[in-house]
Amino acid sequence: MTAAAGRTGAALADAAGEAKAGWRGVHTALLCLFAFACAVPWIAPGWVHVEELAAWLYLALSATGLVATVGLAGLPSLAQGGFMTIGTLTTGLLAARAGWPVEATVPVAVLASLVGGLVAGLAVVRLDSLFLAVGTWILAWLVFLGAQAFPGISGGAQGYVVDSSLSTTGHYELALALTALAVVAVATLRRSATGIRLRAVRDRPAAAAGLGVRGDRLLLGTFVASAAVGGLAGSLAVQLAGVTDPGAFGPVVSFKLLAAVLLGGASYAVSGIAGVAVLGAIALLARLWSHLQAGSAAEVEPMFAAVLLLVVLALRPEGAPLLERLRARVVPAVRPEPARAGRPAAAPAVLSARGLVKHYGGVRALDGFDLDVGRGETVALVGANGSGKTTALRALAGALPLDAGEIELDGRSVDGHGPAELASAGVIRTLQRTATFGTLTALESAVVGASLHARHSGAFRALASTPKSRAEARELRAAALEALRTVRLDSFADVPAARLDGFQQRRLMLAGALAARPRLLLLDEPSAGAARAEVDGLLEILSSIRAGGVSLLVVEHDQRLVRALADRVVVMADGKVVPG
Amino acid sequence: MSLSLQIVLSGLAAGSVYGLLAVGYVLVYRLTGIVHFALGDLVGLGVFVALFVTAGQGAVTEATASGWRFVLGLLVALAVVPALTAGTWFGIIQPQVGRGSTLGWVAATVAIAFAIQSFISVVFARPAYVFPDPIPFHDAGRDGIVTVAGATFQLRSLYVIALGVVLALLVEYVVGRTRFGRGLQAIEQDAEGASVVGVPSDRFVGLAFGLVGAVAVVIAIAAAPSGPFSATTGMLLGVKGLVAALVVGFRSPMWAFVAGLALGVVEAGIASGTISGHGLGPAYREVVPILVVLLLLALRGRVRTLEPE
Repeated sequence: MTAAAGRTGAALADAAGEAKAGWRGVHTALLCLFAFACAVPWIAPGWVHVEELAAWLYLALSATGLVATVGLAGLPSLAQGGFMTIGTLTTGLLAARAGWPVEATVPVAVLASLVGGLVAGLAVVRLDSLFLAVGTWILAWLVFLGAQAFPGISGGAQGYVVDSSLSTTGHYELALALTALAVVAVATLRRSATGIRLRAVRDRPAAAAGLGVRGDRLLLGTFVASAAVGGLAGSLAVQLAGVTDPGAFGPVVSFKLLAAVLLGGASYAVSGIAGVAVLGAIALLARLWSHLQAGSAAEVEPMFAAVLLLVVLALRPEGAPLLERLRARVVPAVRPEPARAGRPAAAPAVLSARGLVKHYGGVRALDGFDLDVGRGETVALVGANGSGKTTALRALAGALPLDAGEIELDGRSVDGHGPAELASAGVIRTLQRTATFGTLTALESAVVGASLHARHSGAFRALASTPKSRAEARELRAAALEALRTVRLDSFADVPAARLDGFQQRRLMLAGALAARPRLLLLDEPSAGAARAEVDGLLEILSSIRAGGVSLLVVEHDQRLVRALADRVVVMADGKVVPG
Repeated sequence: MSLSLQIVLSGLAAGSVYGLLAVGYVLVYRLTGIVHFALGDLVGLGVFVALFVTAGQGAVTEATASGWRFVLGLLVALAVVPALTAGTWFGIIQPQVGRGSTLGWVAATVAIAFAIQSFISVVFARPAYVFPDPIPFHDAGRDGIVTVAGATFQLRSLYVIALGVVLALLVEYVVGRTRFGRGLQAIEQDAEGASVVGVPSDRFVGLAFGLVGAVAVVIAIAAAPSGPFSATTGMLLGVKGLVAALVVGFRSPMWAFVAGLALGVVEAGIASGTISGHGLGPAYREVVPILVVLLLLALRGRVRTLEPE
């Protein structure tokens, strides 16, 4: 008992210490803002309507949920209003027609929107983002038209009356607390290994897949979580309003939520609440305008919001540059971590490929390709352009369904394994094109690779900040930093990848691959675009990687690099190995 | 289970509008790889511009609406809508596409849609308007409803359908048979290559956007007198057009038109209760097609491909 209490105390002290180390001025400012917001119902002058503020806060809650899908995952979802409506209608139906107590309807409303999000997500998340946008847009319309067409569900023109047991002030404080919680959750998720991988998938899906990230699963989970938060906000908002309002179901809500996220800078934890604050200011402006013009404020509001959004988009696609600058100061500098206890060195892998065939129409890109890479051996794959080298690497990494052939890793067939499975087995591939995760810092980019073997860093554990997940997060950062050191980028750890020069980006790709602890590394022209002096540096890096104990298969044009590095050179022509 | 001629014809008339919007979505998608979410609202704006020129903002009566003012209204709409359709592409959407920001152009087109809708509802404050009928169909038969060989139908449905088919064939001719159309096909296949061999890509794409807007606004104005028209009607028509375009997977303009016609007939059939054996009432008119299309999208929508290596 005492031992358990002692451990809990130590874990809490550890957590507090970590929070203190990461605390910045901006956090103090946000905390002060939150305390002030809590006090508003008691100190605000009479012309401030707490009920309206609470309604805006529920919108901010839903928008914060959407930040995960739009900002972190980069999915152009137009259905968040629809998920809010599902929450609203569930609560309306259960409370008004089935006579449930309103509090009991909340979990069901969340569940309903979660299921709605899951069904919709399974349909659209794996689609091209254009079709995702069209699908979610049509879905928002389906919910809207359905609510209009079936008065039994929506309560018709009068709406269902929902009596809340909470006072207006109670709703305001609840909305504020939940929104703050959502902001903290998004911030935590954003920094966690899961959030970093999510952003990696958003920036470069193929490069992320090469590091073993299962993109579709991450995207689906994010989409569903956003939908559930939307449902929660919808359920509570209707309790505040007291009646289901058919006018509140329209696709315009989906637009407002997307606009809020983008106006708030898209991918920051506070994007949703900042954007909703802008929309609130627009609503005030619209009211002022309608006093002058004797029109309806509700009707001009979307126009003002739309025009402002168009201006912001024209200036910058990802939203506010101000936030970007703020963030640059907020991100803590990387401090050297204590060297970790030596991780078990995995043995280099043995690869054997027999008779690989791949057709593209009439072209045989691989035409009976055979290759062996021995344990710890470095093999260079050379050949003319179009001889099938990159295709071979893609096939060996599981990124290409083969028409025929057999690949064995350590004597076991890996037939039908995808890139994620092969990455877990230790086969890591870098791309021929320079493909870094532009918005991630160098350290975060390497964390994408390091998190391949993470065991305690799932989204839920990270959100709960369990001691194990925090310890593992430190380990992942240490491993990532070690990989950066190997490629001599450790002094650039906090720099966004997009700001690195071309050769630094090539090395960063290598660092991501190294951090994933490969047993077989497939490198596609590591020296592409490198100047002569840079090739020397690269050679040193590759030699040290080789000395570290890994099997290497390198596609390379630079003869100097090939001679210095390779144990064996394999020549390829017309999709197969040239004998001799 | 039999569809009366009247239901089929009114369905085809509504479907002509969906169909030509679908043609627009497909052409725009094939040329530029985007979906112009504001297309329906641009067309709705065209209808209101024509209404404004024909009869002003007030209540419409036969006295305020005259033939020559209608012609003028149509011409003004035909100038405004194509200009805006092409203008939004060059001014707002293309820069986002150039940055490779899907999120950017999706949000921008939806923002344009709501800006237009909001603008219309500010200028035209009533809940709904009735567009004056420039052709006196109601003088024929019994208040516009004629009976031919035992079948009863609205005469103006025939006119809208005929116009829709003519416009669709016109688009097909322009895209398939003219030099301009061959240029568009070249751009579809390879925009860069097309400009290298001397196709003026920007001008052709701009003209195509204009064509798409012009055709859709003509049919929408022709169909408008058939029912009330409000600020949100354009967006709803746009959604129906999208549904039709999705049915054919944004592939062929002609099949998109056919899908639009079919959507109109299905809606009319469900609304009248003749399509469904199991009591699907009018409430299911709009919901069922959307559900079916979402299912189609889930089953065979284009799956995201990883970026080229």
